[in-house]
Amino acid sequence: MLLDIRKLTIDFPPSRKRKAVRALKEFSLRLEAGESVSIVGESGSGKTTLIRCISGHVTPVSGSVSLFGADLSEASNQELVALRRRCGVVSQDPYGSLPPTLTVLEAVMEPWLLVRGREARQAGEHKARELLDELGIGREEILSSKVRLSLSGGQRQRVAIARALVLGPELLLCDEPTSMQDASTRGDILRILQRRQETGMSMIFVTHDLFLARKAASRGLVLYRGEAVEEGLCRDFLASPQHPYTKALVAALPKLSSSATYAGESGGR
Amino acid sequence: MISIRNLSITYGRMTSRGRSGETEAVKNISFSVEKGKLFALAGESGSGKSSVLMAIPGLLPEGTRVSGEILLDGRNLTALSEEELNALRWRRIALIPQGAMNSFTPVLTVGRHIEEVLDVHLGLSKRAARERTQELFVRAGLDGALASRYPHELSGGQKQRAAIALALACDPDWLLCDEPTTALDVITQKGIVDTLKDLVETKGVGMLLVSHDLPLAASVCSRIFIMKGGTIVEEGAPREIVAHPKNPHSAALVNALLELEREE
Repeated sequence: MLLDIRKLTIDFPPSRKRKAVRALKEFSLRLEAGESVSIVGESGSGKTTLIRCISGHVTPVSGSVSLFGADLSEASNQELVALRRRCGVVSQDPYGSLPPTLTVLEAVMEPWLLVRGREARQAGEHKARELLDELGIGREEILSSKVRLSLSGGQRQRVAIARALVLGPELLLCDEPTSMQDASTRGDILRILQRRQETGMSMIFVTHDLFLARKAASRGLVLYRGEAVEEGLCRDFLASPQHPYTKALVAALPKLSSSATYAGESGGR
Repeated sequence: MISIRNLSITYGRMTSRGRSGETEAVKNISFSVEKGKLFALAGESGSGKSSVLMAIPGLLPEGTRVSGEILLDGRNLTALSEEELNALRWRRIALIPQGAMNSFTPVLTVGRHIEEVLDVHLGLSKRAARERTQELFVRAGLDGALASRYPHELSGGQKQRAAIALALACDPDWLLCDEPTTALDVITQKGIVDTLKDLVETKGVGMLLVSHDLPLAASVCSRIFIMKGGTIVEEGAPREIVAHPKNPHSAALVNALLELEREE
């Protein structure tokens, strides 16, 4: 078992202005090695907290997380670091999560150098260049530019993806990794992730877009206010949503393929 | 009616060592939009769509070269002085810029922010401004009680609606919206575009929407202009564009989206 989350409950601690907020309520999820799942939900549903919990950055009120067979609550700091190194994380915010003073190439090589040491520099650089090229940002002028300067949000996101993939993670945790991409690039990135999945990588893909969710993983889970309200296949959520929230989500999703929603017919007059 | 004729926009490029070189962001484009309908400029990032939108009320950065004409009911806006443009901004043409929801001052309640605009632009008394703000909140689909909240106490969707209320302050004929729903989840997104559509249909406002989200634009607009590299490569009703894209770029865009929607 790659990941076994049991009845996980997480509170955000109270502050002066508000009471404690329950971010996740008795949440359970099991993932075998090589399996992937998409987590669908709106802002505030607990998606990001879940990712932070799997990587051992948040301590639960109750329940347990077991990652690669190790119980996170019993792991020492050193063990936690070792477990995290087997995961790649693409955070929601490519502005806050990348080292601003490094060049694109250095930013992607950094995890490699930290884990494999300076001696492995050449191999790391080769790997980083290969990945950035695959992601369509392998041009020398981009590789040598500082992350802080002259990179668009979409380019930063791709740098963050390369950084997460450089060590060949067994589990990739993605939090809205394509939110800033144009439609065509988004397709390319999903295909790149798919190739990794075919060769054994597991992925937890967090998004609020059901179409993206279905593309990223066949298995899905709908999170609403900290609770899993629907579990099963993403294509079933789209075809026959059960929970009222899933129904609202499907109804709100703009579809290019359905002419019924076109304004030209109904509203444009 | 707003008619754009042979519009070109060239930016002076900023480098780390200062200004050098130029970027032609918009290349000789022409199109017209009428009031009472929703139009969209769609396209990928860097295609020039925001530049076109910002050029209409004359809000491009200093040092930008603009050629061609932007006609508002026959009057060429590119020939107007800053003073003349100021008389049109807010009252005839209101802009909701990209990231508007994060542009409220953190030290005032959103209601006070809007009241200040009403004071400066329309000279309304405190009391009249407060009443008007309540009206605007309702039109933007917000509970009036939220006027007494600070920006950080509102959700992203509520802030975006407050930005719409702000843009409506002086009853504009035209509303220009730059990516009004980016960074909001699909349900909130749908609510916002429904509100915009309602403003067009019930108040007869003219609306030009800039969006990189073609499915979203197609779901509310009667006509879409797809931009690429500073030119309009495709235009038509959403249904036509999806069924028969004429340009290879827009065909690729439509196919990428349809592929995502299709069940494999």
